[in-house]
Amino acid sequence: MFDWLSWFTHMENTKPFVLVIFSITFVLILVYVFSNRNRSKRLESYKNIPFQDDDDDEEDGQSKDIKNEQ
Amino acid sequence: MVASSAPGSSPVEQYNYDIVRKFTIMALVWGVLGMSAGVWIASELAWPFLNFDIAEITFGRLRPVHTTLVIFGFGGSALFATSYYIVQRTCQTRLFSDGAANFTFWGWQIAIGSAAISYMLGYTQAREYAEMVWPIDLLITVTWVTYLVIYVMTLRRRSQPHIYVANWFFIAFILATALLHVFNNMAVPVHMFSLESYSLHAGVQDAMTQWWYGHNAVGFFLTAAFLGMMYYFIPKQVGRPVYSYRLSIIHFWALIFLYMWVGGHHLHWTALPDWTSTLAAGFSILLLMPSWGGMINGIMTLSGAWDKLRTDPIIRFMVVSLSFYGMSTFEGPLMSLKSVNALSHYTDWTIGHVHSGALGWVAMISFGSFYHLIPRLWGTKMYSERLIFAHFWLATIGIVVYISALWVAGIGQGLLLRAFDEYGNLAYTFIETVSFLHQPYVIRAFGGALFLTGTILMGYNTLMTIIKSKKEQAEIEAKIAAKLANA
Amino acid sequence: MKHETIETNAGWLIGLTLLVISIGGLVEIVPLYFIDSTIEEVKVENKETIHPYSPLQLRGRDIYQREGCYLCHSQMIRPFRDEALRYGHYSLAAESKFDHPFQWGSKRTGPDLARVGKKYSNEWHVQHLIAPRSVVKESIMPNYGFLMTPLSYKDIADRMRALKMVGVPYSESTEEYDANVKRFGEDIAKNLDILHAEENLLTQAASDNYDGNADDVTEMDALVAYLQLLGTMVDFSKFDEGHFAKFR
Repeated sequence: MFDWLSWFTHMENTKPFVLVIFSITFVLILVYVFSNRNRSKRLESYKNIPFQDDDDDEEDGQSKDIKNEQ
Repeated sequence: MVASSAPGSSPVEQYNYDIVRKFTIMALVWGVLGMSAGVWIASELAWPFLNFDIAEITFGRLRPVHTTLVIFGFGGSALFATSYYIVQRTCQTRLFSDGAANFTFWGWQIAIGSAAISYMLGYTQAREYAEMVWPIDLLITVTWVTYLVIYVMTLRRRSQPHIYVANWFFIAFILATALLHVFNNMAVPVHMFSLESYSLHAGVQDAMTQWWYGHNAVGFFLTAAFLGMMYYFIPKQVGRPVYSYRLSIIHFWALIFLYMWVGGHHLHWTALPDWTSTLAAGFSILLLMPSWGGMINGIMTLSGAWDKLRTDPIIRFMVVSLSFYGMSTFEGPLMSLKSVNALSHYTDWTIGHVHSGALGWVAMISFGSFYHLIPRLWGTKMYSERLIFAHFWLATIGIVVYISALWVAGIGQGLLLRAFDEYGNLAYTFIETVSFLHQPYVIRAFGGALFLTGTILMGYNTLMTIIKSKKEQAEIEAKIAAKLANA
Repeated sequence: MKHETIETNAGWLIGLTLLVISIGGLVEIVPLYFIDSTIEEVKVENKETIHPYSPLQLRGRDIYQREGCYLCHSQMIRPFRDEALRYGHYSLAAESKFDHPFQWGSKRTGPDLARVGKKYSNEWHVQHLIAPRSVVKESIMPNYGFLMTPLSYKDIADRMRALKMVGVPYSESTEEYDANVKRFGEDIAKNLDILHAEENLLTQAASDNYDGNADDVTEMDALVAYLQLLGTMVDFSKFDEGHFAKFR
């Protein structure tokens, strides 16, 4: 039942195998992330999320959260 | 924001900062205790009389106290604090269930405290970095599941359509840690009321399971989660968004995929089958790519703000942490090469490598994040900026001294052990290499003490900041009271 | 499916993350349980020579773990020339197959102990544990004089039963005992009998008298009994050189 697992123990099988699955996945992610200009724009817009939290960033560290409490 | 306790203001803060404050304080408490234990055991290696014939403080019992307090006490509490803060700020919603959050706080603190005491009393599972006995493991499991539920429920409440990337890293960290913890700690207790147990796995399978756990504790607990910290606090401190969001996506998927394969490199040349450790070595080399991708992303985020480096000590902490992250993620793959590992394994080089990651990357990014966080949590400025600078220099010099000493110790001992004389006999006995280690051990203990001193300064600085905040609060309240009385 | 779905749906993010982090562990750990060549077969005259610990040795191993010995001493000799000269034949996977948990270690602050058994006398071990620097001047090991305290062995049967549950062949029924006799020989099988555990423990402590004091059973007795067993279960002179190489 588990004999097929021994296929993985042979280096000549395992090396190309993992190389192929890793490369394919990696390339797919790369293609997804960089291929489409609109998608790129959308993804890059997310980097501003930390700055949308009505924060402060005033020097004294005081925030304006208080106004949201009301 | 802290003003919630002030009369007249709303009783509930918009965000649950109370839980973040609690975890922040405990992170510093465990940090000081754990690093003190570390300096102590480092000194025991240099001067063995420090074991004082007291069973509870011998090296073998105190070492897990050190690792548990710094990794899970300091690191864990820092992660709870920052992840609870980040998930609220990036989702712009309050944390799910105050009660459950408090439960994770007490569950975690009790687990850490009782673990430290139980090791000193001689109760251990004898699995590195997972020494907690089974009842503590159960407590951790319950706490951790609650953590996951809180995190996911908070994400579901978010007002943003997109989940910010820092949260991805925290989610992966929470899931992976749950998986690792459960599978590595499977054991059968001696009986219902015994703290001792025997592990389910044995021998070679147990070794692989343990180092699958051990290395992914590094990969997910000490790396992925702290990357989550990096992706939030560096942009916030610098005031610029992260350099490339698309790179962070690739960074995430590649990192979490690759890390899970590499545990076997802790078992090169052992009775573990060759195919497993070779596979692990291969993936360890590949891991360099996402690691450096992430580092570059962080450095490039900072790169527009080099001028602030002169005036802002927090950014200095962040720059140094990223540099050490890059350095130790290069050293790691190097040491996972079988030929290098033949020399480095079983020596202090490994200990040095761990500390360049743990002190240089994990602790430094935490310090930077905390210095950003503390003024916001207590609604006041840090008590002393000069103390932050002093902390920065003590920590940085401490790390450099520490890892240099252990490079000498590790590589030196590795070379001595494999030296042969002209007749093909061993050139040195084992004990001769031990006496060679004395000097590096003394210097290492000194480097560690420098680092500890910096952490103590931070603790003091934080304490004074809290006191200051309380004072300011009281003054404001007095003013309001006076106004009300006059009116 | 779009990546956007993953980004915006916590469930998808969790599911995919779980999938991605599971692959590595599955591929590397699961086969170790099913591939026969992972653990060597070590038989002499049709008897397995690698056997579970006797009750006294088991308690010794517990103490070895309690004191964190594994943090400074490895039990895993690698196949290098210097290690062969210093410690002996490289360690086999089979030699730790009854170790719950394994004690391979990760650091050699002290020397490897995988084959320390029978290298030194009992007296040497006791002296060295009580005051390491009286035997080896430059040693940095703590003093373990506190091991000269009475050994607690009341729960020895429970310990063996717990180990039996995780797969160590300790025997309770006659069939199990007979199977052990067939597998390991009578002398060993007697010591694996849970029903006589306490008696066997006392007998071994008294007859071998590890700590030099025959009146009581100390933790020192147990620890030295364990140390003296380490690495002695395989007689490499009985196998030709290539025998174990094919398992690597």
